[in-house]
Amino acid sequence: MAAPSAAGLGRRLRAWLPRIMPVRWSRYNPSYLEPEVKKESYQKPLEELTQEEREQMERKAVRPIKAAPPSLSSSVFSDPLISKFTNMMMKSGNKVLARSLMSQTLEAIKRKQLEKYHKAPENEKETIECNPYVIFHQALKNCQPIIGLSNITKGGKTYQVPVPLTDNRKRFLAMKWLITECRENKHRRTMMPEKLSQELLLAFNNEGPVIKRKHVLHKMAEANRAYAHFRWW
Amino acid sequence: MAAPAYPAWVTRWVSGQWRNKKRPPTLRPPRTLALADKVANRREQSTDATCITEMSVMMACWKQNDFNDTPCAEEIRMFYDCVAKAEKEHRNENEDTLSPRGDLPSSKVNKLLKRFPQITRYV
Repeated sequence: MAAPSAAGLGRRLRAWLPRIMPVRWSRYNPSYLEPEVKKESYQKPLEELTQEEREQMERKAVRPIKAAPPSLSSSVFSDPLISKFTNMMMKSGNKVLARSLMSQTLEAIKRKQLEKYHKAPENEKETIECNPYVIFHQALKNCQPIIGLSNITKGGKTYQVPVPLTDNRKRFLAMKWLITECRENKHRRTMMPEKLSQELLLAFNNEGPVIKRKHVLHKMAEANRAYAHFRWW
Repeated sequence: MAAPAYPAWVTRWVSGQWRNKKRPPTLRPPRTLALADKVANRREQSTDATCITEMSVMMACWKQNDFNDTPCAEEIRMFYDCVAKAEKEHRNENEDTLSPRGDLPSSKVNKLLKRFPQITRYV
């Protein structure tokens, strides 16, 4: 009689203790709304708002709003994709270093493109893209795989089945490939901004090892297209 | 006294049926004679994979164009549209709606039955 009661007591006590480890879900009540940071949405006159935006405004008058995270900024220079890339480059929480590396990368891209621009003849000057943000976005878009492979076990054997990927997964894979490529397959003494700017410019022109890796994935998916029926979603 | 009207049990007693064990079965059901709030778990047929035709069209285009994405932009766009549509349908599946094949899996049936249980006793 003592053993079951002790076990029940332990379970009840454990349920009472609050979680110490951080978990990936949010502790906010579902009624909390996301904060709106962009200044333009507040400067619109009342007539221009669509029906949904009016409803959103009415909801914001009654419902509480979540605290804005420190990475969310209303500056014109902030870009969610660049922030995500910086976070992925960050090691041991050193955001200062990661941010400086990112800005040095963008500066390096701009310098290389300007050099090309000034050396090019007049008729080719328009084709050269000098905006590093545009180059970054386009390079990332070129690196994103369109179809992925997932392991599905059927009849005791595991097969690599071609599977469509979500947008988040594609973005993550593109950024991960770029960073791993720069970290592992380059000379030890090259600086990260230099390596990254080189990779981004190659990816912008659809060349380079990251694009090759994407093509390898596509080729494997194409080779395994017979197993596509093993999917059930 | 043509046919004296005795009650049924008297005739049965007199004929000796009861003593010869020709009596109605004494039913003692081990469970309550009421419908349970769940159905047996059935192994439902697995649904087919979606967007296979679009995928094969896209892969044929890739094979022709050496896996470049620019010539195959149209096929890729169709594949993405199909995937988005399938994702939306999957999200809109409610617990009361039938599956696209027209059947209701046992898990959904059990959820519905739990919401509307069988009343076994009145207060």
